[in-house]
Amino acid sequence: MNISSERSSNVTSSEHARLGHPLSGPPTDGAGLPERFAYDNRIVRDFGIATIIWGIIGMVVGVLIASQLFAPSANLGNQYTTFGRIRPLHTNAVIFAFVGNAIFMGVYYSLQRLCKARMFSDLLSKIHFWGWQLIIVSAVATLPLGLTTSHEYAELEWPIDIAITVIWVVFGINMFGTMIKRRERHLYVAIWFYIATFVTVAVLHIVNSFEMPVSLFKSYYVYAGVQDALVQWWYGHNAVAFFLTTPYLGMMYYFLPKMAGRPIYSYKLSILHFWALIFIYIWAGPHHLLYNSVPDWAQSLGVVFSIMLIAPSWGGMINGLLTLRGAWDKVREDAILKFMVVGLTAYGMATFEGPMLALKNVNAIAHFTDWIVAHVHVGALGWNGFLTFAILYWLIPRMYQTPLYSKKLLNAHFWIGTLGILFYAIPMYISGFTQGLLWKQFTPEGMLKYPNFLETTLQLLPLHMMRAFGGVLYLTGAIMMAYNLFKTMAAGTLVANEPAEAPALATVFVPTGQDTYWHRWFERRPMQLLVGSLVVILIGTMVELIPTFMVKSNVPTIASVKPYTALEVEGRDLYIREGCVNCHSQMVRPFRSETERYGEYSKAGEFVYDHPFLWGSKRTGPDLHREGGKYPNAWHFHHMQEPVSMSPGSIMPPYPWLLAQKLDVELTTKKLLALRSVGVPYDDQTIANAPADMQAQAKTISTDLAANGITVQSDREIVALIAYLQRLGTDIKK
Amino acid sequence: MFKQFISKIPGADTYMVTSFLIFSVFFALVGLYLIFADKKHLDHLSQLPLEDQ
Repeated sequence: MNISSERSSNVTSSEHARLGHPLSGPPTDGAGLPERFAYDNRIVRDFGIATIIWGIIGMVVGVLIASQLFAPSANLGNQYTTFGRIRPLHTNAVIFAFVGNAIFMGVYYSLQRLCKARMFSDLLSKIHFWGWQLIIVSAVATLPLGLTTSHEYAELEWPIDIAITVIWVVFGINMFGTMIKRRERHLYVAIWFYIATFVTVAVLHIVNSFEMPVSLFKSYYVYAGVQDALVQWWYGHNAVAFFLTTPYLGMMYYFLPKMAGRPIYSYKLSILHFWALIFIYIWAGPHHLLYNSVPDWAQSLGVVFSIMLIAPSWGGMINGLLTLRGAWDKVREDAILKFMVVGLTAYGMATFEGPMLALKNVNAIAHFTDWIVAHVHVGALGWNGFLTFAILYWLIPRMYQTPLYSKKLLNAHFWIGTLGILFYAIPMYISGFTQGLLWKQFTPEGMLKYPNFLETTLQLLPLHMMRAFGGVLYLTGAIMMAYNLFKTMAAGTLVANEPAEAPALATVFVPTGQDTYWHRWFERRPMQLLVGSLVVILIGTMVELIPTFMVKSNVPTIASVKPYTALEVEGRDLYIREGCVNCHSQMVRPFRSETERYGEYSKAGEFVYDHPFLWGSKRTGPDLHREGGKYPNAWHFHHMQEPVSMSPGSIMPPYPWLLAQKLDVELTTKKLLALRSVGVPYDDQTIANAPADMQAQAKTISTDLAANGITVQSDREIVALIAYLQRLGTDIKK
Repeated sequence: MFKQFISKIPGADTYMVTSFLIFSVFFALVGLYLIFADKKHLDHLSQLPLEDQ
């Protein structure tokens, strides 16, 4: 391994002098002789370029899927670019590719400087960089093919999950190795946030990826129904917390003082912020499942901790904004600080709104609507996007030792980006309120005012057009930034190994201040911080998850609920492949407005064989949990072939390939065996007879279709999908 | 209205109370630790990002 100090020989004294690094370094406790070394800027630059490129790709896909919601032709008439398949591509690209690379860029830059040490290993840095890009490329290759687990923000199949784990461990070794060989005794609070990020993401990813493989690209989650939902939203919520929030807070605590030229407003507040945030966040996951079929105590716990979360979140925002006290004149002139201020404000807005959305009465209206989409985009576009832009604009000129190519373009990017956020968020908020209220509107006679779901969708199209326009503005800004930064890179020369010097740490620490024992015990020791963070996040995790797994009465079983037939399992897998869950929920909430529209509300016991659960989080189309028996087979056939033939004006894309493609039954028996191994009670006979049973059931459906004038072979995919749709939600009626 | 989902598991309220207690104790400990933290030392820590400027 190429360890940092060996690099010091690359940097000559004259380079030190040229780059303005005098040999008299800052005083450090226990100082020995000054050591010369070099920071690795190349890896920071590489992650920066990846951030820019993937960011633009993710945003382009975002604009495309936004357009599909008012212009079905934007689905491009083939199965690889339908909304259901590429919406996960958008979310994965912006979360793991854009934000992920930005996190690594920020961590690799700041960690080296805060530790006064080069990254632990250049080789590990390279493996981390290329491994992460390979994972992203594999996501781009598999998601449009319909290879998905269907867990939101965790769609990638099991081999890629393993690759993520390996690369994450590489990142961890590199990060902790750097801390271990650091030349600064104290670990600045930004590093605490990085440690919490590392350990929590590892726990979340591993627990939410327990899958039983069927083949190389097909698996079933070991959890079912309610448990699967709780695990997924424990993961989903905390992916927001520990991938989109804590690393960015760490970056804020490092880069904002650098940009403003002054220390953070209150270091005490940053410590309180850290511990309170990581402790509370982990409990709040069930607020994604309010009025869903999860135990009431879990919902209440989620609500209470969500409300409490306002305090540490706002503590962080206030700490950031007050850092700029007395420096607001700089904000007026410096667009980089403007990005930071808007980013922090967006963080404050989103973290106030989140707890409000977690109130059951608000959630009753907001859940499944565009309101949630608006909420996450205030965070994504404002907080993550703007902080990323600010850091890129700040870093690239420094690493290339040249001024930014164009300040005018930078200013223009700030304004067009801000307008983009407004054009995105405001129409989506209006759309969300409208949608939520239309669904609940009754006539004076007590009937649903808008009984046809499609009518409520069509009302929102102009707002969706405005949202797409907002997305185009935001994307334009990002392209301007790419041009500006690439021009800057072309004008300068990368200081790949930036010379630095600091005394080595003395082996024996002599405390100099009045700092307390406990403070020293924690803030000088990365492993203690890691264990401390782990303990803190595991408390909430265990209270939330264990009772649902251990206490049977949490999921009351229903005797008439039986496992799916082989054909229905195949149909369900098609439903997963096509990403139907991205637009259709399978969760009738216990409101009159929903039971009137869809039928009996959903019970926890109905999902005990659902590996994975498919409750969904957004209704672009109607709920499908009580779809079984609602329409004849022929209706489904025509609807999948050409949705507007059955629902005039529908924005659902046609799925003609389901009519043409032969159902792949090669894995059916293996699928049943895999499902049995995770707890679905298929007996030997059912598994042995699966091929014959499947044919018989398919024949019944194709015969019924033929009776209605539709000629289709019984081995086509559409037959399996119809079998699944007709089964949905029917067991409790037996 | 939502009776099916209201947990009948014995001691469900214990979860609430325990959770609240765990948090209160934890929060109090962090608070105490901050009250007794040395200000000069914290000032030094807050300067760390600015040291290489």
